[in-house]
Amino acid sequence: MIFIVSTFLLALVTAVACALPGVFVVLRKSSMLVDGISHAVFPGIVVGYLFTHDLHSPWLILGAALAGLLVVAGAEWLRTTGLLSGDAPQGLIFPALFALGVILVTSRMSNVHLDTHVVLVGDLNLASFDRLTVGGVDIGPSHLYVMLVVLTLNAAFLAALLPPLTAATFDPAHARTLGIPVTGLGLAFMFLVSVTITAAFHAAGALLVIALVVAPAATAHLFTTRLASLIGWTVAIALLGAGAGFWLAFASDTATSAMMAVIYGALFLIVLVATRRGSRRHRLR
Amino acid sequence: MTPAAFLSDHTFVMVTAGTTVIGGVAGALGSFAYLRRQSLVSDVISHAALPGTLLAFLLLTALGRDGRTMLGLLIGATVTGTVAVIAANAITRHSRVAIDTAMALVLSTLFGLGMLLMQHIQRRPLPGKGDIQDYLFGNASTITRADLTVSLAVGTLTVGVVAVFWKEFAVATFDRDLAGLLGFHHRILDPLIFGAIAVATVIGLKAVGLVLMVAFVVTPPAAARQWTRTLPGMVIVSALIGAGASALGAYLSIVLGPVPTGPVIVLVLFLVFIVSLLLSPRSIVLAAYRRRRSPALP
Repeated sequence: MIFIVSTFLLALVTAVACALPGVFVVLRKSSMLVDGISHAVFPGIVVGYLFTHDLHSPWLILGAALAGLLVVAGAEWLRTTGLLSGDAPQGLIFPALFALGVILVTSRMSNVHLDTHVVLVGDLNLASFDRLTVGGVDIGPSHLYVMLVVLTLNAAFLAALLPPLTAATFDPAHARTLGIPVTGLGLAFMFLVSVTITAAFHAAGALLVIALVVAPAATAHLFTTRLASLIGWTVAIALLGAGAGFWLAFASDTATSAMMAVIYGALFLIVLVATRRGSRRHRLR
Repeated sequence: MTPAAFLSDHTFVMVTAGTTVIGGVAGALGSFAYLRRQSLVSDVISHAALPGTLLAFLLLTALGRDGRTMLGLLIGATVTGTVAVIAANAITRHSRVAIDTAMALVLSTLFGLGMLLMQHIQRRPLPGKGDIQDYLFGNASTITRADLTVSLAVGTLTVGVVAVFWKEFAVATFDRDLAGLLGFHHRILDPLIFGAIAVATVIGLKAVGLVLMVAFVVTPPAAARQWTRTLPGMVIVSALIGAGASALGAYLSIVLGPVPTGPVIVLVLFLVFIVSLLLSPRSIVLAAYRRRRSPALP
């Protein structure tokens, strides 16, 4: 496969894999929790790398995702103590985990090759270098297949559990009376988000992956209310934003993840202004 | 290492004094973010500060000045940080997007913009441009006497503004509608409060880095809240916790060998928070004990 085409495909698959669970992240008001997860994944990757010495290992992805889940479960526990107010529970654990990661990297691993820049900022082209060959034929970067697996997992999870997840999201009390394990389902979902974020850091970097998760769903949420069309539009916006961001970054020779985040932000702003105009005109009639 | 040897080393003293000021200012002003139930605005501010510091850098070098002076960095970062928080709040007012999603959007867009600016700067032969790592992680050992003076002045000035507008800040923090009824202008008060929180966040940008500053703003108030129930008490205890943990963390990071200072302070802060949660009068341990004594109604 041609290098640039396979990198483009990797960008699109990563964007959609992140955007799909993003629909429920936005609806459940967990967007800033995703930021916490993406920071906590960093020490997870560092510790995982100490054991595996391979940034692409599935064990490393699972281990790092567990660190992300620690933030989710910890925030939930701190919230239920009733001793803290507002969004403070979401902001207390991830900095401590991140600090641990920085200390590990600077002290224990100074002789181990782990580029913090790659982990935090991401590099799509580097992620594309590791190719998968079947019978001597190059079938694209191996990371593309990792992301395809993650995308399939996310789609399968949503397809299988859409009704209970919807009920648990919009009316947890009602969902509980129906016998849906609301807390367990929420944790399972956030674990999947955590896995997705970990897998995506190669392409997007741990600090900008939040844009890939939150922005498309937030933009679609501006003009759609039905869940099915929300999911459809989210995927469409993810493809558009990631595609445009990729080629703009390619043309101007800049970082893909940063350009994607900026394009996503611009798309959101355009749709926000357009829908405001539309609703005002609608009201005047 | 003896205390005398510690105090005779210029760098050690600068690191400890600098981070103590940062911890105290961030702790005091962070209380307002906590009480507004928006602790995470500090996370938005710290990420939005990246393009601000870089724009200040470009402007200063264009004027032929040193692009990485503390005051320039602080002003640039405070401006973009405050704008980011106001933008996030405006998005929720004008659409059905919730505040957490709006915060995530503003944070990632501005940080992305900052990274593009960083790349632009990297490709030009500018003096003292530094690396993205310097902004992400900071470096406490680079604190100079001038930096310390500037941080102290900016911190004192901001805490002074808060003291002058104490009544307005208190009402606006606890009862937004009442503040409006009393004739306080949200258009003026909101930027002031968010600006103060922005100063609290960006004051440690050079020493601690933008990723970890959130802990300096979120953790001390959360710990202080366990020990006090008044606003003045909260601000004072939070400032003391911030300053004390920073001094201890800085000392430990030096004594324990070459360990980065910022992360050690963050871990000390987290420990103080956990201890407060477990041992304060409102503690979970005590509450569980009381519950066992008198079981709650089903």
